[in-house]
Parts: sequence; structure tokens; C-alpha cells
Amino acid sequence: MSEELKNTNQTEEQYSLNDDRRVKVLSPGALVVKRFFRNRLAVLGLIMLIVMFVFSFVGGFVMPYGQAEQFYTVTYLDKEYVGVTRNDELRYAVADGQEFGTILQAQFLLALGKGKTEYSYKGEDYTLTEEGADFYSISKADGTVLAIAYKDIVNAADGMEDPAFAVKYEALKAYANGGTSFSADGGDYTLDEEGNILSDGTVIGYISRFVVAPKENGVTITRDFKEKLQEALEDDITEFAYTDEEGVESTYKVSYDATAKVWSVQQKTPSYVYDTYGQPSMKHPLGTDKNGMDMLVRLMYGGRVSLVIGFIVVAIETVIGVILGGISGYFGKWVDNLIMRIVDIFYCIPSMPVIIILGAAMDNMRVDPQIRMLYLMLILGFLGWPGIARLVRGQILSLREQEFMTATEACGIRVSRRIFRHLIPNVIPQLIVTCTMGLGSTIIMEATLSFLGLGVKFPFASWGSIISDVNNSYVMTTFWFIWIPAGICLLIAVLGFNFVGDGLRDAFDPKMKR
Amino acid sequence: MAKKKAEGYLSGKESRRISRANRKITNELEKKRKRKKVPESEYLTTMHDPANAVEFDNLHTYFFTDAGTVKSVDGVSFEVPVGKTVGVVGESGCGKSVTSLSLMQLLQRPQGQVVEGEIRLNLGDKAYDVAKMPYEAVQHLRGNFVSMIFQEPMTSLNPVFRIGAQLNEVIELHDGEGKSKEDVKKRTIELLEMVGIANSEGVYEMFPHELSGGMRQRVCIAMALACNPKVIIADEPTTALDVTIQAQVLDLLRNLKDKINSSIMFITHDLGVIAEMADYVVVMYAGRIVEKGTAEDIFYHPAHPYTIGLMASKPVVGRQVDKLYSIPGKVPNPINMPDYCYFKDRCEMCVEKCSGEYPDEISISPTHKVSCYRYYDGQMPEDVGPAVAVEAEKEPVKAAAEAGQGPAEAAVKAGQKPKKSAAKAGQRTAKAAKGGKAQ
Amino acid sequence: MSKQAVSDTKTANGQTPVAYDPQYILMVKDLKKHFPIKGGMMSQTVGWVKAVDGVTFNLKRGTTMGLVGESGCGKTTTGRTILRLSGEKTGGAVLFNGQEVYDLSAKEMRALRPKMQIIFQDPFSSLSPRLPVGEIIGEAVREHKLVPKEKFNDYIDEVMDNCGLQPFHKDRYPHEFSGGQRQRICIARALALNPEFVVCDEPVSALDVSIQAQIINLLKDLQEKYSLTYLFISHDLSVVEHISDTVGVMYLGNLVEYGAKTDIFRNPLHPYTKALFSAIPIPDPQAKMNRIVLEGSIPSPANPPSGCKFHTRCAHCMQRCKEEAPVQREVEPGHYVVCHLYDQ
Repeated sequence: MSEELKNTNQTEEQYSLNDDRRVKVLSPGALVVKRFFRNRLAVLGLIMLIVMFVFSFVGGFVMPYGQAEQFYTVTYLDKEYVGVTRNDELRYAVADGQEFGTILQAQFLLALGKGKTEYSYKGEDYTLTEEGADFYSISKADGTVLAIAYKDIVNAADGMEDPAFAVKYEALKAYANGGTSFSADGGDYTLDEEGNILSDGTVIGYISRFVVAPKENGVTITRDFKEKLQEALEDDITEFAYTDEEGVESTYKVSYDATAKVWSVQQKTPSYVYDTYGQPSMKHPLGTDKNGMDMLVRLMYGGRVSLVIGFIVVAIETVIGVILGGISGYFGKWVDNLIMRIVDIFYCIPSMPVIIILGAAMDNMRVDPQIRMLYLMLILGFLGWPGIARLVRGQILSLREQEFMTATEACGIRVSRRIFRHLIPNVIPQLIVTCTMGLGSTIIMEATLSFLGLGVKFPFASWGSIISDVNNSYVMTTFWFIWIPAGICLLIAVLGFNFVGDGLRDAFDPKMKR
Repeated sequence: MAKKKAEGYLSGKESRRISRANRKITNELEKKRKRKKVPESEYLTTMHDPANAVEFDNLHTYFFTDAGTVKSVDGVSFEVPVGKTVGVVGESGCGKSVTSLSLMQLLQRPQGQVVEGEIRLNLGDKAYDVAKMPYEAVQHLRGNFVSMIFQEPMTSLNPVFRIGAQLNEVIELHDGEGKSKEDVKKRTIELLEMVGIANSEGVYEMFPHELSGGMRQRVCIAMALACNPKVIIADEPTTALDVTIQAQVLDLLRNLKDKINSSIMFITHDLGVIAEMADYVVVMYAGRIVEKGTAEDIFYHPAHPYTIGLMASKPVVGRQVDKLYSIPGKVPNPINMPDYCYFKDRCEMCVEKCSGEYPDEISISPTHKVSCYRYYDGQMPEDVGPAVAVEAEKEPVKAAAEAGQGPAEAAVKAGQKPKKSAAKAGQRTAKAAKGGKAQ
Repeated sequence: MSKQAVSDTKTANGQTPVAYDPQYILMVKDLKKHFPIKGGMMSQTVGWVKAVDGVTFNLKRGTTMGLVGESGCGKTTTGRTILRLSGEKTGGAVLFNGQEVYDLSAKEMRALRPKMQIIFQDPFSSLSPRLPVGEIIGEAVREHKLVPKEKFNDYIDEVMDNCGLQPFHKDRYPHEFSGGQRQRICIARALALNPEFVVCDEPVSALDVSIQAQIINLLKDLQEKYSLTYLFISHDLSVVEHISDTVGVMYLGNLVEYGAKTDIFRNPLHPYTKALFSAIPIPDPQAKMNRIVLEGSIPSPANPPSGCKFHTRCAHCMQRCKEEAPVQREVEPGHYVVCHLYDQ
């Protein structure tokens, strides 16, 4: 106590020139810090790292989206809606209870072609009567109408049953002859100029030369739409809008296939899809990737994965490396020989093929992505320790010959204490430097593996796997926002680690004066 | 506890302030030195005495370190006469090497800077002020006019080149105009023979690692002699060698001294070596010259308590003492030196005046100068004669102390520049004494 | 023929048991330490560096023996081999208090360690750079439980004070100290273990003159206070003369001359000792130099000359010196020399 008091008093006094408290010096830690901060590149590297860490670890919390959150967008697809053909062939309608097979049809056409009005088949005679333009009726010898052949088609009105044969026949007859009313089956019908067949004022059908066939099941085409469409076709319009009775407006695209003589009408339908390769916008500053996930958020979470993998791998490497290198360096002789030969073997292992094979095996076994990540770290760590073991061994070999180690031996200090109190602390500076540099290369390694599809798997992201989305030149040239930011993140992080590593090496080296 | 630990260390704020100040100064000085195409007139000067090869005049060489400004050389003035050997003695950190490096402009840049003073180098027909020369111009001086022999012969030779090649290179670089390869080789062989290497042809083809330390140092000496420099700086040339090898090298240097017309600036901490080699001796302490004079002056009439103490504390073969005299305390850390005699806190011959400002240099004979208050009234130092080598060391010290007591009092009485506050000074002395005791 | 003779004496010396004399704390008999030279593909041993090749001396309790010689003569290895710090010896015997050091088990050896300490030449590499000074000094004390826990701090303070260190130095790291203070720390570390015997391996040669004197005085004071026995290794003859009671001169692994200080310095017998003494520079500008300047440099200990190892540089070399190795001979009482010149 009194000693302390004296000390504090003395600081107030002027020290004699012999006293080393006279001059304040830099503490060892301050010296290292100072040397580090004098190195501009190292400071730049440190800033880069801090930015990347904040970006990766804090950014994820700040952003409102989750890492695997997918975004949707509405796109308009041109869906084949209906096909329209102008009927240029004769169609047949057979009277109730009659038969008019294909052979009879063929015979009919033959007769029509020859300009005959009668023909016989299998001993029976048939008469064909031209009732109007492109409208014929075929009757048996006894005068009963067997069938009609026509080109204008009688359609049922929306929600109505197909008109009966008699109605069709009379309607077509009236239509062909310009009549406005007719009666059939005991009912009276009128025919307006647009070809509508009305019964008691309600439209039960209409006559039209166009055939409108829906392309999808369950779609009924309204009369109104057909007429609109017909108008459009007649005016040669390629696009038109139609509002149905429910008020939904859709646009349709009409194209004509000259060879098939078919107008195909495509409906622009809105569809709700993943926002794939969305361009950068306010909502997604870096756009979205091919799964419709926000790129910026993916980058942040990817950084987290990349950095964490880097740290864990280096930690595994360091633990194994320090233990084996330390044992090897301190004990020497056959232990050293054995461990160093193991190191040599590890150096010989072509790590890339091994990892590719293991990656493929994991693919095959459908390993859970999270467990897969763990395996990846273990594999990388296990393949990476020999470098550190060598470094530690070399350091310890040279330190072991130093006089302070002889002194510990002369003082009879335990072996474990000698290793952990005297040797290891002196290796730590070099170790920190190597680990920092190793972090950079591990991140690159992980990125390479992820790029090859062997590393981190969906739904997790890493910078490497983000870049690997770019697997063709189209994506590369069109969607720059997918790979350039990830590449820059990777560059900054690795460069940062290397700069800091270099800076630390210089700072720890007491021989470096500046 | 934490506070106690922090004691004696600079805080981050202080250290940043120091760094900023250092950067400002060194940048400015560096800019000046790095200029190209500086007219010769800027550093042309005249020697105060044409018989001198080098004149150091009030040289200040500072190192701007993180812990503060280290005044490694703080107002050093001495001359190296043509053809003579000047020995510079002092303990490590006293600035003896820095003085020579200032002459060569080989200071560790950018921290090390000559901030004040002149170093006049006699080139025969003209003289240059090395302190003002830009780097570009100094390059031409090295080797041609000033050369250096280093302490470590192992590290000053390039291990991958043959001895012959290294020597040839030096000759070709500085002296090679109009010389054929054979001429250069002839000169190299001649040099090797000059430094006493019998097997000169064989050594010519050897690599440095094939030679012993002594031989290597000979090669280094040959290299330094290659261009007949005006001044040779020998920075502890024998410290790394064994006694028997040191004897060989010293013999060689002594013989060479007569053969060549170069001045030698011999830097060492070994008084025995100095006595053997030097015509003039400069004793340095903490960046200042405490005493200078001829070898006889210094060895037979040491005046400064430091010189006396230094001689007494070195055991000498054949001189039996019961207890070796030792200078108490330690060499001060050269940062923030106070303005009083730097040796005061270690001095056992202190007089009252010593608490005053740093003593000026005073001549006690035409050749002998000393910075000590004990000689301010013209008192002469005790003639210890060669006795110092044989007699018990306590005697001269005591005698000198007694001799010193008188003059100092007299000086005070005479009122020779009374110091700021005698009372305060006295108090400080008392404190210092207490501090010393505590230690 | 001569070779045969040499090997005969070797085996004879190696097998002769050394009779223990209690006045001697240390008895070294024909100590040999050879280091293998590894080479070739499988790093097999291709030769031996005979660093210590037959050193015999006895050291009295409470006295100081100086060991001088040039670099590479094996004086440092001798010191370390005595302390069993450089692996196994090659031959000979080291008796510390009558106990053969190399017969002890590792555990017994550790228990003996505090009794025999060493101070190194280079105060910069001999202190663990990452431990505070208090820990460096106190570590081994705690390890061997030399003082009770509650007295530990006071004990360390006392040891530091004895070595001229202040209590506030405890928390500082070695690099903050000057060479002299570091050497004090080394001395404090050795002394804290309360040793009987200390090997001082060039403890002052890396220090400044004024500090050298302080350290030498400190060592002498401590010797008186704790009645220590020193083996003082140095190349500086003046220091050795000042501190030693007996002096041994080594050349290429052999002790060429050994005896009381006064005998050695007043009446050096071996030509090498004579040359060595004459080479010391004297701080007197007018001193007359009667130097015996030795030709050449020290031969490699891996391939020492035959016969007397000094014959290549000796001014008195005879035909016999080249063929036959001389043996240690007591020329005066307590003054031993290994030279054919004194065979009659």
C-alpha cells in the first residue's frame, strides 16, 4: 500500500535521468496498433472489412425481407383463346330419325359436282335441291327431307339449346331467301337482318358463316364476343379490347394463318408469377434473382454465410494446425517426422477433385442444405490445416533454440507450461496474420465450390452461389445486377482480409520501423 | 490496478499528437532533400581549417520517433584532420554512430534527419556542406570521398557474389573510367594484398561464407580503401571479432594508416582499441560531446567525470582491484532531455553549479576541451598519467573529485552567470539524490 | 600409433570413476560433447562437431572459475553441457555435489534445476518476450514452490531489489528495458531459485562498459551474500581476471591451461594463452605493443587438426605436436597445462 502511494507521489516529481519512468513510452499493444494504422492499405482493408461485416450481419436485420422470401409480379401472357375459321365447306345436318352417312355425303358431293339434281345409291334415289346460295337439301325419293347441306351455320344463342333440325332448316331457308320470318315445328320465328333467330322476341340462335371454337375446355364464347370478333376480322384489326358482361376488360390479339385459313385469337391474361430477374427498383435496389428473391437481401445473407464459413473453417484449420504443428515442433525427432509426412500427404491430396466427389455424393444423398454447409466447413478445415501446422512448427523450431527456452529448461519448468506460456504466445502474431490471409482464400474457395454447385445450396445463399446463378451469357449480359454486386462483395472482402493481413504482419514485426 | 499499469505509457492522444508533429517536420525536410538538380553553390562551403578533412559544426541529428523526438546528436562539433585518426568513444545510444551516418547521409529515413548544423567535407579543391546536400548529390560522395567499414563483416558482404566480383564492382563504379577488366582485377588483387590477404588470387574467387570473420573484415577494409577515399569511417570494425583476430585487424589498420593518406573516423566503445588507434579522441555521452582532445589528453588527463568513470570501470589485465568502480545509474532515454548536465544524475563529483543549464565547452588546454562545470575557473585536471592502467582506480576519481570541489565553489562565488534559482536547483539535486538512493 | 594411444587414454578416462571430494561443488572429468553433422538424402550423420572434447576441472565451493577462449572454442557448450541443457553428453562425467548429473531421471533433474542456474550472454533473447518481468522472475519459484504463496510477492520484490530492480518493473515487458536492466532481470530470475552454482555465460559482453562494471559488481556482491559458485564464461580476459579465482583457457574444445588466476595471468605457460593475453588492447596510447599475433583463424571443430589442435597456429610448433596430442600436466601445484613444451 505504502509502496503504491510512493509511486503515485513520484509521478508528480521530476524523475532523475536514471529513472526509466522519466520518459513515457508506447506500450507494446499501442506500438502494434500504431504501426498498423500507419499502413494506409491496412486501414483501407480494415474499413472494407468493417463495411462488409456491417453489410452482412447488420444489413439482414435492417432489411424488411427474409433471405428466402420470394416476390411475385403480374405478367400478361398471350394465351390462345379461340380459333376462328370462315366456313367454306358444306356442313350437314341430318333430319331427326334419318341417316345420312359419309358415303351418301360423298355421293351427294359427286352429284353436286356434276351438276345433277338426282343420284342413286344402293338402289335408292335421292334428290338434291338447291334452296339458296350454298344451301342444299337432300330428300329421298318419297320426298322426305333427309338432310341439309349448308355453309352458313346456325348457332345456338348463349345459354340456349342447339336448335332442332326443322328450325335450322327453316331458318337457313329463310336466311338464304331473304325472308324475315318462318315457322317450324309449330313455332313462329323471325329472322332479323343480322341473322338472329328470334322466337317470341328472344334470340334462340343466329346464323353466321364464321366458326368460333374455344381453345380451352370450359370456355364459352358469347355471341356478343363473336360479333365483335367478326367485326374485327372484317376490318382487319389485329388487336381489340372487349369488355364482357362482368365488366372485365381484356385485350385480344388476332393473327391470321393463311395456310390454315384460321384466325387465332389470343387473350392477354394476367398471371401471377415469381418476379424473376426483376430490374433494380425502389423496392429491390439490386433487383431480384431468378427465384424472385431480393438480391440485396440475398447478398447480405450470402455474406453472412461466406464470412461465417470462412471463420469456422479457419478456426478448424488453426486448432488442428496449432496442435499438430506445436507437437511436431516441440518434440521433434520421429514425432516431427511423422506429422510432417502426414502434412506432405495432405499437400499431395488434390483437394478440388476430392471436394467435387464429396459434393456430388452429398447431392446424391440429398443432404439437408444446413448439414451440408456443416460438412463443407469440416472438409475445408480438414484439408486446410497443413499450412498452419507447418508455420507453427517452423516458428516453434526456431523459438525452441532461443535462449529463453533454454532458460525455462534450466529453471525446471514443466513441458506443458513451456509450450503454452512461452512458445505459443510467441507464435500468435504470425498465426493471426496467416489466419487473416487464410480467411480471404477460404472465402474464395467456398465461392468457387458454390459456383460449381458443390457448396452452399438453396435456400441458403453465399456470394459464390449467387454468382453461380449466372450460367449463361444471356443472363450475364442482361442481368448484370445478379453477379456484379456479388463479385464486388467477394472482391472487397478478400482484398480487405489480405490488406489487413499484410498490415498486421508489418505491425507485429518489430524490425519494421515504419 | 489498471491505472497503475498504464503509468509510464503514452496515451493514444499524446502519441497521435507526436506522430502528427513528426510527420509535419519530416515531410518538409524530406521534400528539401529529395530535390533534383540543386545548384552546387547551395552546398558549397569553405573549410575553417584546410588541414581538416571533415569538420562537424554544431551538428544536430534528431530521430522523430513515435515516443518523441530523440536528439541522437545534439550540437556536436569536432574536426577530423587530414591523415589523422579520430576515435569516437561512447556507450550505445550516445550518438557516435549517428554522427558518422549523418556524414554519409545514411540515416534511417524519414525519421532520422539532420536538422541543424554543418558537416564540412574537404574534397581537396573545394568543400561541401554534407548536411545541406540533397540525396542525389551525396550519392557521388559515398565511396569516392567517404567510405565505411561496418561492424558486421558477415552482413556487409553480399553472400551470392564472389569476393573479386564485389571488389571489382566498387572499383568500376567509382574509379573505373578508362580501365580495362584486367586493370580492375589487378587493382583488386593489389587491394587484397594490401590488407594482408596472402592468398589474394584464391580469395578473389571465393564467396564470403568461405572466409572467416577476420578475413571478411579485411575484405571490407579493402573495399573501403578501393577508391582512395578522403575519409574512412570505421564503425566498430573489431567488435564482432575475437581478441586474437581483433589484434590482427588492428595491426593491419595501424599499418594502413601510415600507408594511405586518408583520415579515419574510428568509432568504438572499447577504450583499449581507441588508445591503440586514435590520434584524437572524442568522448560522447547522450548525444553530446563531453570531452575531446588528443589521445594523451584523454588517457592521461581525463577531465570529465564520465571519462574518468569509464576508464575506471573497465577492468584492466594486470591491475588488481577489490571492487570495480562502476558509474551508477544508466544511460538516459534520450527523449525530452532536461536542460542540465546529462551526466549529473550519475555523477559522483557534482558541484552546486551542476543543477544549472547544460555546461558549455571549455578549453583546458589548446587541444583539450571538456563540458563540465568543474573546470570553469581554469582548474586543470589531475595528471593521472599512464597510471590509470596500473593504479587502483579509486584514487584518481577521488582526487579529481577533490579537485573539482574547489573550482565549482569559486565559480559560484564569482557569480559567473548565477542560475535561475539556486534554491530550486538545490532542491532538485536533493531529490535526485533521494531517487538515486531509492534505486 | 599415436591415435591408438589417444583412444586408449580416452577409454581409460571414461571408465575411471571419479572420486568425490566434498570441497568441490562441481567435478568435471574428461567431458565430451559432440554434435552430429547431418547431411545427405536421409539426413544421416556425416560427421561430428567436437564442441567439447575432453574438459577436466574441479570447482571449489564459493569460488569463481573463469573460462576464456575465442568464439567457437566450446566454452559455451561446456557450460550448457554441465547443466545438462544440450541433450546427452558424449562422454566423461559431471559431478554436482558428488552426484552424476546425467544419471538423474527427468523428475529428479527437474528437482535439481533450481540449485544450478545459468545467466546468458544475450539479454535480448533470453527473456520470454510476451511475459511481464514479474512473471519471468517468479514463474520458476512458483513452479518449484520455493516460498509459500502469501510470501511470494514480497520474495520477488526482495530478489528484484537485490538485483537493482524497482517494484514497478514487475508489470513491464522485457522489450521496455535496456540491456543492463535485462541482464539484471536474468540474474534475478536465476537468483530467485536460490541456486548454489551459477553458470555465467558471457553475462557482460553485450553490455556497455559502465553497465558491465555494475553487473560485475552485482555478481560479486551476490556471490558474497549467498556464497554462490560461479563458472564465469567470457572472452574478455580483463573481466575474467577481475572476477575469477581460477581460470581455464579453452581452445577448440580442449582446456589447454587451467590454474589459479595469479598463476595464469602472471605466468602463462601455453603458447595460446600467451598470445591471447598479448592481444588485449591496453587503454594507454603509449603502451608498447609486444604482440604475439597469431596467424590465421581458429580451425573448424568439425575437422580439428591432428595431434595438438593448436599446432597450426603455434609459434613453437614441433614435429611431435603434429602427431601426438598432449595430455594435461600439472606444471606447478594447481597449474595444469596441455602442451608438449612442458613435458620434461
